[in-house]
Amino acid sequence: MLKRFVVLLTCVATPGLADIDDVLTDHIAPGYSTLVEATAHLSNVAEETCAPEAITPAFHTAYDAWIRISHIQFGPLEDQGLALAMSFWPDPKDSTGKAIARLTRFADPIVNAPDQFGEVSAAAQGFTALERLLYDPQPDAEYACKFVRAVAEGLSRKAMALESAWPAFADRMTTAGASGNARFQSDEEVNRALYTALSTGLEFLHDQRLGRPLGSFERPRPRRAEARRSERSLRHIVLTLNALEDLTTTFFDGDLSETKAAFAAAKERAASLDDPALAGVANPVERIRVEALQRTVNDIRNAVNEEIGKPLGITAGFNSLDGD
Amino acid sequence: MPKRRDVLAGLAATAFLPSKGWASVGKPVAISAAKRSDGQHILVGLSARGSLVFQVPLPDRGHAAAAHPSDAEVVAISRRPGTFALVINCLEGKAKQRLDAPKGHHFYGHATFSRDGRYLFTTENLYETGEGRIGVWERQQGFSRVGDFSSGGIGPHEIILLPNGDLAVANGGIRTHPNSGRDKLNLLSMRSNLSIMSISGTLKDQTELPPSMRLNSLRHIAALPDGTIGFGCQWQGDVFETPALFGTYSGKGGLHFEDVDETQLRSLKGYIGSVAAVGADAFVATSPRGHAALLFGLKDHAAQNYRAHDVCGVTTSAQGVTLLTNGLGQVFSTNTRALSQLAAHNLAFDNHLIAVP
Repeated sequence: MLKRFVVLLTCVATPGLADIDDVLTDHIAPGYSTLVEATAHLSNVAEETCAPEAITPAFHTAYDAWIRISHIQFGPLEDQGLALAMSFWPDPKDSTGKAIARLTRFADPIVNAPDQFGEVSAAAQGFTALERLLYDPQPDAEYACKFVRAVAEGLSRKAMALESAWPAFADRMTTAGASGNARFQSDEEVNRALYTALSTGLEFLHDQRLGRPLGSFERPRPRRAEARRSERSLRHIVLTLNALEDLTTTFFDGDLSETKAAFAAAKERAASLDDPALAGVANPVERIRVEALQRTVNDIRNAVNEEIGKPLGITAGFNSLDGD
Repeated sequence: MPKRRDVLAGLAATAFLPSKGWASVGKPVAISAAKRSDGQHILVGLSARGSLVFQVPLPDRGHAAAAHPSDAEVVAISRRPGTFALVINCLEGKAKQRLDAPKGHHFYGHATFSRDGRYLFTTENLYETGEGRIGVWERQQGFSRVGDFSSGGIGPHEIILLPNGDLAVANGGIRTHPNSGRDKLNLLSMRSNLSIMSISGTLKDQTELPPSMRLNSLRHIAALPDGTIGFGCQWQGDVFETPALFGTYSGKGGLHFEDVDETQLRSLKGYIGSVAAVGADAFVATSPRGHAALLFGLKDHAAQNYRAHDVCGVTTSAQGVTLLTNGLGQVFSTNTRALSQLAAHNLAFDNHLIAVP
């Protein structure tokens, strides 16, 4: 699959500062191929064992692969409406807990039907559901085991469906403006889609992955940290910083000195935190260090806007910003 | 170069139609406020093919406008908290009068004419008390200010004319004061409502959003030929709570929210920027923040997704074509599955597209 993907792209040149081909071949394609491998392995392990501790290594590897590519929210993920079914977070209404409880209470046999499992609530299908099943005590261990298998196999199927749809979508991206290409009318639209993935990824990191557990000084919200049960909260932040930095340097060929410096500062701050579930946000001293990390993410956003957004002529939406 | 047939048709129109009528203005089908790349704010008229028929400079950023039911005249309203409105003669493409909000009032950006075209109604904030008001202007008296009446709530945003001649007002519920710009002053107690009133201001019906929807600001409305109103909200709470944002009102049984799946709902980012009626039983709601538009069919209760960057303006023309605009200067029409681009201009279309009769 990957091979065909590469062949499709070699003859297309993108003018200017942005390199769409490189993003496709060096960032998106390997990201999905790793996700396919890791989720297939996860599904195989879950078939072989019911013991959560035996499954968690494969769970971590697969979840890592997802977080590394989850910032690419456009394309097959959007077209197939699978974003929430891969990972349902933020989840302020606890849709995940409710969906798992409902299926478990009725011991719904849909977990034995891989072809139908994609019809259950998106909140019960993704890594967020899998984390609950593996890390929270389950009232019915036998059912939970089948449930874990269903989620793991579903993730593997979704990853394959996404990867196999990418070559056709990549073709749309590299033939922007060609007749019959209704998705992208120009290279500018492709650049905008990639830039939006980058800026939205940074915003999500700042406002959700960091902002949600930080809450306010008076009311910190450590239990709102992403994937706190599996103590992956900080890991998601580090993975996201690395993935977005990779997207940035692959995508843009111009001067990135400010952006690179800001990424380096953020990564250093994140590496110095010894707080996997971000529980420290409730401690006034530790909190300061998480807030400092959040500020460096904001520095990245500003640098990206200056060094990439402006040269590409991309500004925030006239109407999106209006608020009326 | 116009074709001979078009020229003749144009001459015929001048000869036989009232000279002030819409048909003589190079056939604009819709109008919109916009911002040119040089920073100048303008009001533009769009043809059925999406080309610019006229453009008139505005003193500052516009928002929506009201089109007169018979004469080729529109009133462009400034964006909140602006205080100017501009009466524009679309035949000449020129502003002919400026209206100023009375002292202590500012406009909210929307307006409508009465069915007979005699009165113009503007949504306003009497900002010292925060009371929502509907300003009334009499056109035949040179748009003299006749008076104003209660909007039925706080923060009246869009006002529309209903098929039976009544007015519907979306009271968004959010209090602001020009001294604090666009800051929201009452989120803890806000309550939005839809109010139906006669043109003299007699309240005929009023429906508040339920307590669980307290943080939804109902701001944009459109009406079907049978009077059913579609409304779009802007959620002031955690957008990941993904409350319903679009619903309908048909006079009985209050406000009915349409059930939309979680993925589609999340794609709206808690924000609907504009609503338009489509045919006899459908609405389009746009979300510039989600770069998406949703078509809601009331018969099958199905929602269909369209995607366009920063899309906001939407209206259905008198010819029955649904048009959309965005901040990148693109004009689209709806197709069965996707949007088709009709034209692209070097300007940013502002929030609202208004069909002309």
